[in-house]
Amino acid sequence: MMPRSATTRVLGWLALLALLVGLGLAFGYAPRESIQGNVQRIMYVHVPAVLTAYLAFVLVLVGSIGYLASARAGWDRLAAGAAELGVLFTGITIASGSIWGKPTWGTWWTWDARLTSTAILFLVYVGYLLLRAMVDEPERRGRFAAVVGIVGAANIPIVHFSVKWWRALHQPSTILGPEPSPIAAPIAAALAANWAAFTLLFVYLLVRRIEIARLEEAAFLGGARAR
Amino acid sequence: MPDNWGYVLAAYGVAAAALLGYWRHLVRRGRALAASRRGDRGAT
Repeated sequence: MMPRSATTRVLGWLALLALLVGLGLAFGYAPRESIQGNVQRIMYVHVPAVLTAYLAFVLVLVGSIGYLASARAGWDRLAAGAAELGVLFTGITIASGSIWGKPTWGTWWTWDARLTSTAILFLVYVGYLLLRAMVDEPERRGRFAAVVGIVGAANIPIVHFSVKWWRALHQPSTILGPEPSPIAAPIAAALAANWAAFTLLFVYLLVRRIEIARLEEAAFLGGARAR
Repeated sequence: MPDNWGYVLAAYGVAAAALLGYWRHLVRRGRALAASRRGDRGAT
């Protein structure tokens, strides 16, 4: 069996390769969209970023439930790492969406249901990370954060279905919706490749983040013993 | 509709900068923790 760091390194190279393939498909294979033109290519970052953020926040929920049920530190590390990455990918979603919104909607930001609910999702998990930073004692930190991690997950369906539940400027879901996707095959292929690349990158970064959390805990425990 | 390549580059640039920045933060943090661990072992 390969040592953990070698496996992580292989995962990192695979993620990089997948991102390069995704870029190639987004710019070299997917056609120019007939209505929006080339600015639509922002979709290959924007949509994978939000889907990766959903995955991250689902893992925060899983890790939080696991921690409350078992009090095992591994679940807390998973939740904390996934929350950090969820905030990162939600930030990319909001930034890329805002940049896409300017040429297509004529504005960087509007208080549309999808945009507002995504901003709330972002702020809830920023709050989760701030809470973790404020509590030093690992068990209390894990318990408090787990409660926020579980409550915060209620925002995920709100963000996703906001375009259905409220009148929104943002377009309805074209993937992960009940109807078959209307996206043309080459565009769908490029989107799927970028989604896979983002997921691989997410897994790589999460594994590294969890390894670091383990080292941080060891350093904290060593420091506490020394005191 | 014009192609707005500037917006496309900006969106990809922001995403790349955020991901690269986070990755570098992890690498540096990991190295610092590993070095302090080696230092602790050396001291004992």
